[in-house]
Amino acid sequence: MTSLKMAATGSAKTMDKEKKYDRQLRLWGDHGQAALEASRVCLVNVTATGTETLKNLILPGVGWFTIIDGGKVTGEDVGNNFFLERDSIGKSRAEVATECLLELNSDVRGDFIDENPEHLLEANPEFFRSFSCVIAAQMPERTLLSLASVLWNYGIPLLVCRSYGLIGYMRVVVKEHTVIESHPDNAHSDLRLDRPFPALTAYVDAIDMDSLSKKDHSHTPFPVILMKNLIQWRKELEPRSRQTLIPPSLLTLMFCSQVPSEIQALFEDEGCRNLNAESSDFFVMTKALKEFVDNEGKGALPLRGAIPDMFADSERYIQLQNIYKDQAKQDASAVASRVSQILSSIGRPSHCISEEVIRLFCRNAAFLRVVRTRSLEEEYNPEKACVNEMGVQLENPDSEIALYIMLRAVDRFQQQYGRYPGYYDDQVEADIPKLKACMCGLLQEWSLSPYIKDEYVHEMCRYGGSELHSVAAFMGGAAAQEVIKLVTKQFVPFNNTYIYNAMNSSSATYNL
Amino acid sequence: MYGLFATIMAALPSTLVSPTRDSVENSKVLVVGAGGIGCELLKNLVLTNFKYIEVIDLDTIDVSNLNRQFLFQKQHVGKSKAQVAKDSALRFNPDCKIIAYHDSITNPDYGVDFFKKFTLVLNALDNRAARNHVNRMCLAADVPLVESGTAGYLGQVTVIKKGLTECYECEPKPPQKTYPGCTIRNTPSEPIHCIVWAKYLFNQLFGEEDADQDVSPDTEDPELAGEAGERALQKEAGENAIGGGIQRTSTRAWAVSTGYDAAKLFHKLFHDDVKYLLSMEKLWQKRRPPTPLDWNNLPEENGTAEADSNARIQDQQLWSIRRCAAVFRDSIEQLKEQLAARGDGAELVWDKDDEASMDFVTCAANIRAHIFGIQTKTRFDIKSMAGNIIPAIATTNAVIAGLIVMEALKILSGNINKCKTVFLNRQPNPRKKLLVPCKLVPPNPKCYVCSAKPEVSVQLNINTLTVKTLEDKIIKGQFGMVAPDVEIDDGKGTILISSEEGETEANNNKHLSEFGIRSGSRLKADDFLQNYELVINVIHVDQLEEDKEFAVVGQTPEPGPQPNTPQPSTSANGPTEPQPGTSKDVEEEELMIVEVEEEEDKTPPSKATTGVKRKTSDSSDQPAAKKVRQTATEEEEEDDIIAL
Repeated sequence: MTSLKMAATGSAKTMDKEKKYDRQLRLWGDHGQAALEASRVCLVNVTATGTETLKNLILPGVGWFTIIDGGKVTGEDVGNNFFLERDSIGKSRAEVATECLLELNSDVRGDFIDENPEHLLEANPEFFRSFSCVIAAQMPERTLLSLASVLWNYGIPLLVCRSYGLIGYMRVVVKEHTVIESHPDNAHSDLRLDRPFPALTAYVDAIDMDSLSKKDHSHTPFPVILMKNLIQWRKELEPRSRQTLIPPSLLTLMFCSQVPSEIQALFEDEGCRNLNAESSDFFVMTKALKEFVDNEGKGALPLRGAIPDMFADSERYIQLQNIYKDQAKQDASAVASRVSQILSSIGRPSHCISEEVIRLFCRNAAFLRVVRTRSLEEEYNPEKACVNEMGVQLENPDSEIALYIMLRAVDRFQQQYGRYPGYYDDQVEADIPKLKACMCGLLQEWSLSPYIKDEYVHEMCRYGGSELHSVAAFMGGAAAQEVIKLVTKQFVPFNNTYIYNAMNSSSATYNL
Repeated sequence: MYGLFATIMAALPSTLVSPTRDSVENSKVLVVGAGGIGCELLKNLVLTNFKYIEVIDLDTIDVSNLNRQFLFQKQHVGKSKAQVAKDSALRFNPDCKIIAYHDSITNPDYGVDFFKKFTLVLNALDNRAARNHVNRMCLAADVPLVESGTAGYLGQVTVIKKGLTECYECEPKPPQKTYPGCTIRNTPSEPIHCIVWAKYLFNQLFGEEDADQDVSPDTEDPELAGEAGERALQKEAGENAIGGGIQRTSTRAWAVSTGYDAAKLFHKLFHDDVKYLLSMEKLWQKRRPPTPLDWNNLPEENGTAEADSNARIQDQQLWSIRRCAAVFRDSIEQLKEQLAARGDGAELVWDKDDEASMDFVTCAANIRAHIFGIQTKTRFDIKSMAGNIIPAIATTNAVIAGLIVMEALKILSGNINKCKTVFLNRQPNPRKKLLVPCKLVPPNPKCYVCSAKPEVSVQLNINTLTVKTLEDKIIKGQFGMVAPDVEIDDGKGTILISSEEGETEANNNKHLSEFGIRSGSRLKADDFLQNYELVINVIHVDQLEEDKEFAVVGQTPEPGPQPNTPQPSTSANGPTEPQPGTSKDVEEEELMIVEVEEEEDKTPPSKATTGVKRKTSDSSDQPAAKKVRQTATEEEEEDDIIAL
């Protein structure tokens, strides 16, 4: 009885979730949702941007969140943060935000640590190991760098996000992020008409177009007709060239089955070439994929197996669909057996990657992506900074790169003076030359000519380190989107810096 | 604490300093829609120190809203969105005054006067009809409007200001996809045809009956031309077939008479009607003929319908025909109960989020698909197609709502010229831009809504002024029209005055109020010959000075055609005419235009044009008596999309 009852509630809960999450399941599927629900995210410092980001992760159902903040709620906080209420002034910021955020979704768990992140980092860096992704809101440069280095070593993705006056900033820091489902905008169908597999050839050969009734003729699936034409066309060519050439008129419809250059590059990637016991599943499968292409695949990736909707009678459509499906299954199982071989050879259990994952991998073989960003350490080291990129961008004085440089200058100011420029109304004017000095210092380290408009320096001082709610709301949306990409491993995160200029609604991404 | 807020506002750059702070605090804004964007927007407004907000939404809260409409929680399901959003937002800033309306913005209560009291209108809508309406109201009231929309990862924000920018209707929108009746009724070839048919069937059986949504075989199919002789016979046979030998009655009446017997319904729909279709032999000369199904002898578990056993979600499994038949029976039973529970004469409204309604459409569409040899689809997919579901997530709405406030701040600080149309891409475009700002486009001089053709407001007494007086003294006398067509812009397109002789004579001695005209009503006067259109805003006054019958407020135009619309005959092509200069002043080449083809809409595709005001220039093609159905009140769409 008890077990029956439990099962019933369990399924009611699933139905409920299905309904609640219906509109997003259509974007990332139930496995994406499962990945999101299995993830644990950590927010360091409760700012408006930080809580907005968490809100946008809690609503779609992230599994667990932890907030770290040692501060108390201030009047300034409740003025721009929806999740800190007035009567909470003086209480632990982490605690109040956690309570308010938990109200958003009863399926999400969350906790908090009322402690200065800097202390936590020093005392117990291991603590950060349990997270799928860490979000760092407004942090002093030094603490940020030490957090980044801890996470870099653990291989945990870090997303820095902040809003500063009318500027939004985001930085993805991830050593290696692999994406099987990159959801390309325009994926062609994979029909293999240019290099048909035996079952397809046999099927097409068995159809005699001339003997078909008018009705059947007009309901022949188009790949069959194309293949027939292609065979005819090749017959008419001289023998030597006929195996490879494709008539240009058919090219656009043919969807050639060559291995895309990104995937070829992936085959040459270090991760694929130097497999070892620590290698990720992704590279084990990539290696197997490469072997497949070199052997059974005869130069082609595994067949995707899906065919597009077309005008055809359903009987032959389904026949054709099954032919493609069967071949895709065959290809996937060939890859799977190579995966097990490789796993054994590197000393891992030969079936530790599920068939389901391998099939997904094969279906997406043409769209695999690897994202490796530079570390924050490199970016902040003047020797390794992307000076050329910044120099080129700075040629346009209104480029968003100027805002990036100003943010760096502000952080340097904060490091020197222990506060943000213009934090006190009566010091705005006095802080301007100080901030300018910080900016010039940075430019000098990068050997860049100090051409940044004075008005930027003035504006930065006027911001006084404040967050504007609508900018925070914008950044919270954009940042949560990147976190979802990172934890679901679907879609491609940007690489690596994003700047939003709220004044003219523009934005830019840079690789810094 | 708002002293601290002042610090934040003072931190804004010079263009937005303290005058902006005051203008924000003194502003009155109207938020139209409290859904995905609306919730985010209310939060942003409250935290940007807006002090006076009115919010309107006719919807109630559904479970599927909770993944993004964060002002709502489980316990709020079924309650008014506007009201709950107000209550939730006030918790965070009790100083703000918020007025909530659980109502449709197209309701005549919200006339020009209503709109005029706002400094700014912010749209957070999800459907074109309401956007059109608010656009016109804002143009009429001359209130700036921030328009927005999202669809999945894509989003867009723009600003509309009369005379300065394009209005929402400056560019013709792509028409919504429709399917010919005979494809739906006789010769479906794609899953969507069967889904549309199934939705029609739902309405025929349980919903509002509509002659345009017939589901039985169509003997008027143009493909049957040449069978004219036979047709008469067939027609007779057809009428007999419908209702199984009884005199022709409506599908509904017949279904009721059988007590919604699933077996009988199945037999009629999937056997008799299909057999009848087969008798129209011409249709099947080049097509695979359909195969009638027998309730008592359904095909064995369908080998081709491969169920994905790995699908974590039930909805993503493909149902066999037997399963469809079982669901057909069960869902009819449930819908019958739902209908009975509402009392006599009640109707159900198809709702994709209602289990039984969705089950019914899924199985009916799949059974029909099977009959016609069309692929069957999963419930999950059919829900997308039948409900025109646009995926929606919190993140995109958050981004867009943030942008809306930035544009609003620019308007309030007197910097409307700095406003932009902003497109949000799914990922950075090749030029590494996630956001693509474009300059606002000036009004389209040919726009039939906001063009330079003037609008006037006329004071009159709606209870004493007759249609005849309106025509003779105001439209003809004052505004110089020769053969005007006048209709009331009340969503129904009620014709008040027709240029066809004798057509509206019966109206002549009636008073304007008898046609529902009230203060704030808009009359559209149109002279086809002069290619001249004029919108008249009625302002009711009990008494005018010197016993005048009416008084024109503001500018009076020169009689006759406007000099700035010199194209005499070509514009008669109306909305289909390609407009010159439609391309936006784009700063980015790789602009991704948010083009959402279809809106989530309960109205079936063939009704897509309802509620869209017909163009004045092609009004002569339309039968004057045709009543345009008002769709605005039945919309329960929930995703916030836009097609600009």
